[in-house]
Amino acid sequence: MINFNRVFAMVYRYAIYLKHNWDRLSDMFYWPALDLFIWGLTGLYLATLNANHKEYIFIILNGLIFWIIIWRVQYEINVNILSEIWDKNLINILASPLTAWEWVTSLVFVGFIKMIISLTFSATLSLIFYHYNILIYGFYLFPIIVSLLLFGWASGFLVAGFIIRFGAKIQTLAWTGVALFAPFAALYYPLSILPDWAKKVALFVPPSYIFEGMRTMLFKGYFPIDKLVIGFALNIPYLLLSLWFFVFMFNKSKKLGLGRLI
Amino acid sequence: MNDKVLEVKNLTKKFGSPAGEFTAVDNISFSLKEGEVLGLLGPNGAGKTTTIQMLLGVMEQTNGNIEYFGKPFKKFREEILKDVNFSSTYISLPWHFTVKEILDIFALLYEVPDRKKRINKLLQEFELGNMVKKQFFMLSAGEKTRLLLVKSFLNYPKILLLDEPTASLDPEIAVKIREFLKKEKEEYNVSMLFTSHNMAEVEEICDRVIILQAGKIIAEDTPEELTKQISDCEIELKIIEDYKKAVTFLDEKEIPYEKNKYNFKLKMDEKNIADFLALLSKEAIAYEEISINKPDLEDFFLDVIGGKEKYD
Repeated sequence: MINFNRVFAMVYRYAIYLKHNWDRLSDMFYWPALDLFIWGLTGLYLATLNANHKEYIFIILNGLIFWIIIWRVQYEINVNILSEIWDKNLINILASPLTAWEWVTSLVFVGFIKMIISLTFSATLSLIFYHYNILIYGFYLFPIIVSLLLFGWASGFLVAGFIIRFGAKIQTLAWTGVALFAPFAALYYPLSILPDWAKKVALFVPPSYIFEGMRTMLFKGYFPIDKLVIGFALNIPYLLLSLWFFVFMFNKSKKLGLGRLI
Repeated sequence: MNDKVLEVKNLTKKFGSPAGEFTAVDNISFSLKEGEVLGLLGPNGAGKTTTIQMLLGVMEQTNGNIEYFGKPFKKFREEILKDVNFSSTYISLPWHFTVKEILDIFALLYEVPDRKKRINKLLQEFELGNMVKKQFFMLSAGEKTRLLLVKSFLNYPKILLLDEPTASLDPEIAVKIREFLKKEKEEYNVSMLFTSHNMAEVEEICDRVIILQAGKIIAEDTPEELTKQISDCEIELKIIEDYKKAVTFLDEKEIPYEKNKYNFKLKMDEKNIADFLALLSKEAIAYEEISINKPDLEDFFLDVIGGKEKYD
């Protein structure tokens, strides 16, 4: 059973970590803002080339803003695990009564909060500067976010499994791991653009259904429910598998001794 | 000091594939009684840290059982770790966090009931009271070690695993820490598993000592009993005037010695010392200075592990 006092202790630990590491604020605000300005302006320019396709900018902004959900939550899980390794604090927390599931819960919660902050910030900027409102998805916004969240957590725990097994020597995966899925998620282009082999891969990448559904909503005004359903049908087993993988790698690492990671 | 609070049976840790297997801890069994301080000694690579990691649950054993308070560690991990804590010089704490933030987090993690009071009391005890706002990386090595010790005492532990807790401390502070450890042991019956390379410290603080070598227990007893197993005392003599006579005498009698200028170092059984000095007198060999060193735990330790070079 999860002890929420201990979960709170870890959430507090990661909140303080942010307080002392202002560079981490760049992940929450600086990069999303920079992306929005560069790609938003690119979209505006493309729209001037073809007055009939003003939705160029919306497609780009849509991809940027909603990718934040996936990137943010996976990144937080992995960077916070790495922070324990960098600080040589891993043994302190794992030799305390904290359980692996309580740790996972705190990582998920911290990622969720930071995702909400980054998402709200980016959505507000895009509304102010480009008049793109993510609320156009109405009721669908909720399942869209949940579906992308599930994928973010799944990819986060997949990478976390490797980190807890191999340590800081593969830390770059925390920044780059999820990017592997981006081309197949078809953030900025329709799936039909992908080469045949990539289309087959995209069939197994849940965000591809979500982003495709969002483009349908932008162009045709409705959200295809089947895409949401397939997205969830893939995300749930992926998340369970990634959690199993993380625990499997955690136990494998424990056999070698978690002390070697610090 | 009767109840066993920790019992380790046939603990084994092997690394590597079956073809190239390396046994770090080889079938060791020992127990720790309530209020007892047990020293775990051994040269580098003897298996001390591996043993402590298994006792903390951050490394899984290949074989054997660990029981705390009569309960299997694997099954009752969370419950047991509420009453166990540790400190090691090989770990650290969040680098940029202040002393207060670090202790708050661990007090929350261990659900310490009177958090603020406990933290303040320990900070005073370890002379860190004026450091609360200092960040961890700004502390000196000794202050960092003391903070790790404060962390280890936060949850009123019944068992403490201390891996070289006084390393990098000034002698004055190290004495205070030892006094604090003794006081905690006496007042609260805290049991401790203690590793250190400072044999005088081990002799002072430990009720019992286990010596590990190549993953195996090679000696186990009280420091006094272990020391008694070595009967040879070390005699240091400074002979200037009768230097040549002394060399001839020792060579003739085939008494082994080490010589550095006019200083002679000999080892002999305590009961033979009087006869030896009488012989010197009979041969009219006068010495300017004499010191007789009784064997201590370090002598025993070096003896059983096979010499100083193995320890280094």
